[in-house]
Amino acid sequence: MTEVERTVSAPSPVGESVKRIDAFEKATGAAPFADDLQFGPNLLYGRVVRSPHPHARILSLDVSKAAALPGVRAVVTGDNCDARFGLYLRDRYIFCRDKVRFVGDPVVGVVAISETIAEQACRLVEVEYEVLDPVVDPVRALDPGAPLLHENLADYEVADFIDPKPGTNIANHFKVRKGNVASAWDECEVIVEREFRVPIIQHVPIEPHVAVAELDRSGRYTLWSSSQSPFAQRNLIAQALELSQSDIRVIAPYVGGGFGSKAGLSAEGTAVVMAMSVPGHPVKVRLTREEEFFCAFVRQGLVAKTRVGANAQGEILAMKTEYYWDAGAYTEYGVNIARAAGYSSTGPYRIPNVEADSYCVYTNHPVGGPMRGFGMPEIHWGIEQIMDIVAEELEMDKVEFRLKNVLHGGEQNVTGMVMHPIGLSECIEKAARAINWGVDEPPSSPYARRSKGIAVSWKAPAMPPNAGSSATVRMNEDATVTVAVGGQEIGQGTFTVMAQMVAGVLGIPVDWVQISTPVDTKYSPYEWQTVASRLTWSMGNAVVAAAQDARRQILELAAEHWNEDIEHLDLRDGQVISYRSEEVLPLQNLVVYGLPLPDDQGWRGGPILGQGSFMPGYVTSLDNETGQGTRAVVHYTTGCQAVDLEVDTRTGKVKIHRIASAFDVGKAINPEQVEAQMQGGVVQGASTALFEQLIRHNGVPQNASFTDYRIATSVDIPDEIIPIIVEVPQDDGPWGARGVGEHPMIPTAPAIANAVSAATGVRIFDLPISAEKIYLEMQKERSG
Amino acid sequence: MELPLPELPAFDYLHASSAQHALEQLGGSIARTRVLSGGTDLFVQMRAGSIAPTELIDLKHIPGLATIEFDENSGLTIGAAATMNAVARDPEVQANYPLLVRALETVASYQLRNRATIGGNLCNASPAADSAPSLLVLGSRLTLESVGGQRELALNDFFKGPGETALTPGEILTKISLPLAPTGWKGRYLKLGRNTSGDLAIVGVAVLGFPDPEPTSGFRFRIALASVAPTPIRVADAEELLETTTLSDESIEQAARIAQDLARPISDARASAEYRRAMVFELTAWALKDVRQMLEEEA
Repeated sequence: MTEVERTVSAPSPVGESVKRIDAFEKATGAAPFADDLQFGPNLLYGRVVRSPHPHARILSLDVSKAAALPGVRAVVTGDNCDARFGLYLRDRYIFCRDKVRFVGDPVVGVVAISETIAEQACRLVEVEYEVLDPVVDPVRALDPGAPLLHENLADYEVADFIDPKPGTNIANHFKVRKGNVASAWDECEVIVEREFRVPIIQHVPIEPHVAVAELDRSGRYTLWSSSQSPFAQRNLIAQALELSQSDIRVIAPYVGGGFGSKAGLSAEGTAVVMAMSVPGHPVKVRLTREEEFFCAFVRQGLVAKTRVGANAQGEILAMKTEYYWDAGAYTEYGVNIARAAGYSSTGPYRIPNVEADSYCVYTNHPVGGPMRGFGMPEIHWGIEQIMDIVAEELEMDKVEFRLKNVLHGGEQNVTGMVMHPIGLSECIEKAARAINWGVDEPPSSPYARRSKGIAVSWKAPAMPPNAGSSATVRMNEDATVTVAVGGQEIGQGTFTVMAQMVAGVLGIPVDWVQISTPVDTKYSPYEWQTVASRLTWSMGNAVVAAAQDARRQILELAAEHWNEDIEHLDLRDGQVISYRSEEVLPLQNLVVYGLPLPDDQGWRGGPILGQGSFMPGYVTSLDNETGQGTRAVVHYTTGCQAVDLEVDTRTGKVKIHRIASAFDVGKAINPEQVEAQMQGGVVQGASTALFEQLIRHNGVPQNASFTDYRIATSVDIPDEIIPIIVEVPQDDGPWGARGVGEHPMIPTAPAIANAVSAATGVRIFDLPISAEKIYLEMQKERSG
Repeated sequence: MELPLPELPAFDYLHASSAQHALEQLGGSIARTRVLSGGTDLFVQMRAGSIAPTELIDLKHIPGLATIEFDENSGLTIGAAATMNAVARDPEVQANYPLLVRALETVASYQLRNRATIGGNLCNASPAADSAPSLLVLGSRLTLESVGGQRELALNDFFKGPGETALTPGEILTKISLPLAPTGWKGRYLKLGRNTSGDLAIVGVAVLGFPDPEPTSGFRFRIALASVAPTPIRVADAEELLETTTLSDESIEQAARIAQDLARPISDARASAEYRRAMVFELTAWALKDVRQMLEEEA
């Protein structure tokens, strides 16, 4: 056996900007992604016949010509798989059986020896449709005469915290009734009422969906997929195929960007059903870039009607909100986004009287899924603009107005939950200061108008109350550690952060820690999903528990060996040390082979294997009628962004000089990664603010390609992004940490809108804040 | 809606060794045979299924078809298969036709310009072609060849409609010729996209001005627009106005108004006709003012 020489130094790496452990692999192109995996000559390819209609009944299907095309191995339809599935509301089939409900809805799957032949065969499939009137507006969808998408909604299985209304297009209705809104308006000096609109957008990950499925001879399925929720996918496939979870194995290599689109089940389901008909052959399904725009998930659209009142002292007294979510044909996550929007509908403000109705509404649009922010960027678009307008009407400074009204720890929020300590006020002050709030600065040309805007935000992980995490920590002979987790590295740096935590607990350098990859439901411990900015906190807690379990075992072994009290022992620099006796033992060898008993009497110890799990036990349900309860969520991450920009009056173009982005992350385990999230969030937030929308005409997508779905490029992003880390610890977070992955894109769009309004006098109520809208609105203002 | 194919459909590839070789193979069938240059538009159309050629004739390797030659007496000749990046980084082009360099630099992305050719950009005849307005104001002429011989045509007479050109079946574009640029000229290409880089033009405006003692204003101007009519267009009336009146903010705005009135934009996913019309005015005025300032600084 070789002794491994290691230079050891370093106190705890927690709180250090440790280099990403996947950086080299990814920068060199060595990191494997789903489409890189090799499957040999048995591999077949699947393509999908999709509905060309937003809403239609399938009258007949003729697949005979497709099946007869040379090279075609199987053709599948809705008859191959007849169980409904869904994360919270089981409202979908993998292949349509009765109706199609959006353009892109899968109708038939073709398996062939090449993608091209599969596609050719798809074009030979004959489907006879009875075209139905589409529902394309989430408000009009509630009209009594509106066509129904799901006639059998009453029969669908549903989670107990979701409230669908059979006989309507409402998939969920979440209500808040707090205080007395009706009487509060009388006490208000200023009342503002506005309507805001948010378009459907798409996540546009650089890697489109890729899934390879195989049914083996023992009747079990393996799915290799670009996935941020392997365990949830396993669960959903089990539902849809009426199988046990243990019959399905999901292997998830690195993900080339998810932003929510690769949670839940979309293209993967079609691959599994196609694999069913060709046992022993893996079947690969890749979405084209064009399909990616509307065949997987999109971010839901939103119509928000909001009324806010404040007294002469500038205290917000009442808020009344209606949200109409454009959920698309099926809901997967949408029903829970509507719920999260309801219980967060006030934003991070102290408002005694609240009435909110959040409706998740079926429409004949692409399926609304989770996207970075999970409803919060959408609702803050309205919240943070209407707060700006209230401040204007009160003639109050917008920073001062927010400081006066935002929540502090110990105060009751909209659902009656007592807020944990938060550093939101500090975020506001620091963000404002970073862009010289209140100071007029000159624009870059006589044609430009420059000004500043601010917006705050909050977001809680939106998940079932009992979403759990687990981890194992295995010690190797050389004292390195192999950590297994079920959460996924989707670019956010979670593997690095987990390694830091383990290293911190075990007193070893970070580069002694390896994460078991790829995530594989057969070998990796359970993780609910990589969503909700919850991994640092939830999976972190599980990882810390596992590392502490290993640490305890090591210390107990050494304590027995030295005959010392465990209290005097510690792990430092890769060694067990005793502060009392000053004895030292290197971890190598002892963590696998144990230690010899005195006088050659044998051995004690053995391979150290730590395990840990975490599940919040304290989240309570909310009252159906009032939305009130003890603790709606685990915690809120709060923050603020302040924007300095100018608008070119000749074109309406926005040029962002700088954005300060301040968030209370509890504790930055890796400050550089936290800053990277703030930068990425600002870029994505600015892109959605200025450019992005999936345009539809009667339910048919019009710009499903990068030609006409524009996203920000490197020259569109702000000249300067100023990340500001605020740390007010979370009581149950590892080292006090809470999540910040999604949050930095939440306030970006309204902060930009507020700055545009300050610069030009023109306020844009429907996203995106395009140059065209600004210019044409300014023209209207000029011509009176 | 029909989605693009997952892969490029199959086709026969012909590596043309000379223009004659290509022309002989081309025959007359545009539906079955297409010429291939950079492929940046062609392959997109083939994936989309809007064209379905079974044979592509690659012009890129024809000797002389990608050359860029500058002559101090006659001007610039660009082979139709020269890539945009090759043209944009040519020292003579940079020294003598910086307006063209600026225009090319607004096309798509750097990577795409490694493939895309000027010849392809013109033959694709998109109303939004970014190279067109600059080539129009620089007075470019085209050489078209067929088995029967060759002919020359002013670029202004080449565009016939969206995707339509004066090319007859069996004919290919081989050369783009630019005369020497007028002495003391200044130019500006302004392109407005939804975002700063990589977008198709909502509106593109090229303005070129140079001193000339003969007209009243002491200057001559040429103005061309992209993306606001079925083809890229010159705005002759505005050019004339600027020559026959004294140059002022008012005359510039009047000229911009003429350009705006001439534009016949459509509404599409990129912009409304209303915004496009407004932008013709704004960008034309902006480009003219910039050019005026440059001319005055020089004078």
